[in-house]
Amino acid sequence: MTIEPAIALAMRDIAKRYGATCALRSTDLTLRAGRVHALLGENGAGKSTLVKIIVGAVKPDSGSLSLGGKPVAFHSVAEAIAAGIVPIYQHLSLFPELSVLDNLSAFQLAAGQAGLSGRALVPRDEAKAWLARVGLDLDLDRPVSSLSLGERQLLEIARGVGRNCRILVLDEPTAALNGAEADRLFAVVRDLCTQGAAVLFISHKFDEIERLADEVTVLRDGATVIDAAPIGRHDSATLVKAMLGMHIEHEHRSGSARTEPVLTAVNVRMATGHSLDLSVRAGEIVGLAGLVGSGALAIAATMAGAAPGTGEIAVGERRFALGDRREAVRLGVAYVPADRHAEGLFPPVSAIGNASASALSRFSARGLLGKARERTAIEPLLRRLHLHPARPDAEAASFSGGNQQKLLIARCLALPDLRALVLLEPTRGVDVAARAMIHRAVIEMARSGVAVLITSSDLDELTALCDRYLVVRDGVIAKELPGDTSTETIMAALAGKAAA
Amino acid sequence: MNQIIAPRLLVAPAGILAASLIFGAIAPGFLSLGNAASIAGQAWVLVLLATGQMFALAARGFDISVGAIAALAGTLAAMAANSFGLAGLIVAPLVGLACGTLNGWLVGRLALQPIVATLGSLVALKGVALLVSDDGQAVPLAEAGHATSLAFDPALGLPPFAWLALACVLGAQFLLGHATLGKRILMLGANPEAVGLVGADAGALQIRAYQLCGLFAGLAGALMTARAGAGLPTEGAGMELQAIAAAIIGGTALSGGVANAIAVAAGAFFVQVVLTGLNLTGVSPFLAQVTVGLVILGSGLMDTALRSLLTRNRQPKDVSP
Amino acid sequence: MSSFPLGDRGPSGMPAFLRPPAILIVAALLFGLAALAVPRFGTLGNVENVLRIAAILGIVACGQAIVVILAGIEFSFGASAALASVVIVMALPTIGVVGAFLLGSLLIVAIGMINGLLVARFSVPPVIATLGMLMIASGLAAWLAGGLPIDAPPSNAFSFPARGRVFGIPVPILCAAIAFAALHLLLAETRLGRGWYLVGANATAARLAGLSVPRLVFAGYAVAGLFCALGAVILTSRVASGQPMLAPNLPFETIAACAVGGLPLGGGRGNVLQVACGVLIVAMLNNIVVLLNLPTAYQLILLGILVIGAVLLQRDWAFLGNAVRVLTAGRRG
Repeated sequence: MTIEPAIALAMRDIAKRYGATCALRSTDLTLRAGRVHALLGENGAGKSTLVKIIVGAVKPDSGSLSLGGKPVAFHSVAEAIAAGIVPIYQHLSLFPELSVLDNLSAFQLAAGQAGLSGRALVPRDEAKAWLARVGLDLDLDRPVSSLSLGERQLLEIARGVGRNCRILVLDEPTAALNGAEADRLFAVVRDLCTQGAAVLFISHKFDEIERLADEVTVLRDGATVIDAAPIGRHDSATLVKAMLGMHIEHEHRSGSARTEPVLTAVNVRMATGHSLDLSVRAGEIVGLAGLVGSGALAIAATMAGAAPGTGEIAVGERRFALGDRREAVRLGVAYVPADRHAEGLFPPVSAIGNASASALSRFSARGLLGKARERTAIEPLLRRLHLHPARPDAEAASFSGGNQQKLLIARCLALPDLRALVLLEPTRGVDVAARAMIHRAVIEMARSGVAVLITSSDLDELTALCDRYLVVRDGVIAKELPGDTSTETIMAALAGKAAA
Repeated sequence: MNQIIAPRLLVAPAGILAASLIFGAIAPGFLSLGNAASIAGQAWVLVLLATGQMFALAARGFDISVGAIAALAGTLAAMAANSFGLAGLIVAPLVGLACGTLNGWLVGRLALQPIVATLGSLVALKGVALLVSDDGQAVPLAEAGHATSLAFDPALGLPPFAWLALACVLGAQFLLGHATLGKRILMLGANPEAVGLVGADAGALQIRAYQLCGLFAGLAGALMTARAGAGLPTEGAGMELQAIAAAIIGGTALSGGVANAIAVAAGAFFVQVVLTGLNLTGVSPFLAQVTVGLVILGSGLMDTALRSLLTRNRQPKDVSP
Repeated sequence: MSSFPLGDRGPSGMPAFLRPPAILIVAALLFGLAALAVPRFGTLGNVENVLRIAAILGIVACGQAIVVILAGIEFSFGASAALASVVIVMALPTIGVVGAFLLGSLLIVAIGMINGLLVARFSVPPVIATLGMLMIASGLAAWLAGGLPIDAPPSNAFSFPARGRVFGIPVPILCAAIAFAALHLLLAETRLGRGWYLVGANATAARLAGLSVPRLVFAGYAVAGLFCALGAVILTSRVASGQPMLAPNLPFETIAACAVGGLPLGGGRGNVLQVACGVLIVAMLNNIVVLLNLPTAYQLILLGILVIGAVLLQRDWAFLGNAVRVLTAGRRG
């Protein structure tokens, strides 16, 4: 056994309350120089609060934090950054209207004293070198708004690793990256480690953690349950169990596909310029598998009438024009958008109001709303989905992410004549229990004859549910695979390799 | 100049050209040197207000109190000038700065929506202006002749106050392009959530943006007072709208992050060209007001059109970031 | 009062005992304090006077409330009321009282529709659209009237909306009651009202849920214009003239009333009780300034502080709750 490297960051007994909710109870975290430390935990376990404390955005109520052995207390993000802590966020923190160079210099521009910006900007050749490190070659004066999503994520990483950082905090950095880009990132992270940086790596993907991390800490309900265990000591099942404190069964696919097509694209040209040929049969769950940026989301949105284009979508015998979401709802096409907060939820409206939004015609006559009918119809749906807390009149904003997602599922269930269901990332940012509940509901809907089209960046989700996979590459459906295809084969197809 | 911003900056100069040609064809006197000078002289108040407004918009804010700030600042400055001599006009930018600080504090520290904060200030400052001026009485300057000569008599080609305004515009442009503060304000406008994540204090930046806005409104108030030879507590109503229109026509994005002070000055000149042109063609001043309203609606439509044009030109995105 | 589509605030919101009636308590407290401290405030004549002022304000505030729930804001009410008053008085000799009132009302509804079109169809920010319309309407009003008020020939029919009584109740107060009832019906019991809440809460989500967002927004501004039209008719009848500068503060007062009542200007929330209480508070404060013989400038200053203060307070009702708790604990201890 070699000598343990020096401790870069130590957090002891950290606690943080937000009003009545306790985000962190007693959390310990130790990062060592030159090591990649994975942080695991369910949504709501306190990971994001812990990160906010490390980067100085939030002050803990109690507990101690020391950097390189010296106790510190950050009062602002700027102080933490000055101390060598560099955060890279899962939500892009770039400035679209500004140039690549300005964005690379954002930390210096933000933290510097008032004065001329010339001195705060990163020298151009150095900026080029930072970009080269993550495999990017961009015009420094281009506005970031003209970059692709993957390029933006890499740019953000270049900005973070370009500085001399002691501690790098990576919050789900690979969510928007394809395989090659992720490899590039991992190489950069490894490189930083050999230079003595400590890395905190937050991810939901076990394979990535096993590839990259040296140690792992698991949080549950705001407390540390596994503290800095070397990777390999626990297998992933143990880690999941530690995260959840319970055992979750795997879902089973519906196996209820019938013959008649329900949701079919007819002469469709999407907004992306690609044509689309796709049909989902009654009772069938079809998975659109594609890496981020592949266009799978655009295809799914198009099928639901949520994205523009030319052509029509047939729902049984009837048709609606592309982008006519209103008509699509009338014909019974339910839709769960990818971005719950921006596109799905009505935060100040009650749970019932959220669930009934697509089905108001069912409860109204001559413009008047039958609220009693609405309540009788919606409340059982919410009970069936185990909405927690079971307060149908509470406003949507007061529920957890998983329960908010249940409201969107309930909105689908409430459709008067549900024929087809299109789900985009239905369990992103959702806790495991809610995820199981949502999967159960989807399977039940399929069994009752609804055609289901689902796309998810989580391959496990697709393999747990789908009767058939459609592999999407470069905006088009490149391949069809049967439901019993192994995960490895699907992954190979996603990356565009010839399947064996 | 990058491709996102370029088309925005061309709207105001193109507008000035088009309006000049149209009015030149209708009213023969329009395209004379004397008229150009008169437009230039009148436009500076609006130029200052619009430049201030630009900072608020660039930070993804909004300030509908600039007209009220200018009126109050001009009135108080006139009172100060009557007590301490013309140097007392310096009170105007100070009052403007104070009002801007108040707006900025409400938005940046108390997290009020900009429209709520500046609407409250607009109404309250109007009241204060009435209160200090004995229910809206104009405050004549004791040294009115001297003051108006500063605003009207050219020295080295432009009146001293016009030189001052020009310097302010150039200063604003320098701030945006070459100072960390300007960059930070643009960063705030481009992505308000991220600006704190990279270590800047978003609230402090909002305060700065509204302070700049107030400062420029105060300067506009001083200029108004000097031109009129009196502090006018009820003047400035409606100016906030012209300022917003001028700032948008001058390429400032309502969605923040894009601003250019020189183009905004051009936007202000465009509004003034339209007003003067209507005046020369004998249109009732009331209908000129209607036209300004149409220009405001037009600027709103323009911002929408530009935004959709630019998003269409961007690469198709799979996920919204 | 049912506020069904609005959710409870959840555990972190305002304390349960303060929840729906909080604003009512504030209004009642203000009335009580003013009745004690301000001379003549509590007299029957003055109360009726306050109610008359509140009635016009309230009717227009109903329209503002719809727009605010839609996450918009409407600045053109004062100017369109002024334009309507000028048009009504000018049209009076030719088309008679009823025709003139109808014409003026149609005009305001049309202005509301244009605003709705600009906001809904062309995505112009509501502030820009309605402020632009403010300038256009007030410019037109001044142009039509030649910049000066024009008197209406006195007639009973013309003064009925402002001065008449039905069953002993002043017509404006009756109209306000009808307006509030109509607003409640619209918001709580119709599909249109539910659509407004959903669009105000999240317009993108509303579109994806299959609602016709442009149509709902357009309808909102148009219906808001209808409420404003009723207010404008009563106002015109009250001043008995066409005034290009009629009620310039009307948009501010109605926005203040909504804000004081606790409607977030971000949209998606609000009910009739809140609007009514907000209106009463604004009307009482204006009346108090008059009774205390203060310059009217104080009305403006108060209004500005009220808008900001109310929004700050509604965001943190807990603050008020705590204050009440501390006060009552202090009394006990």
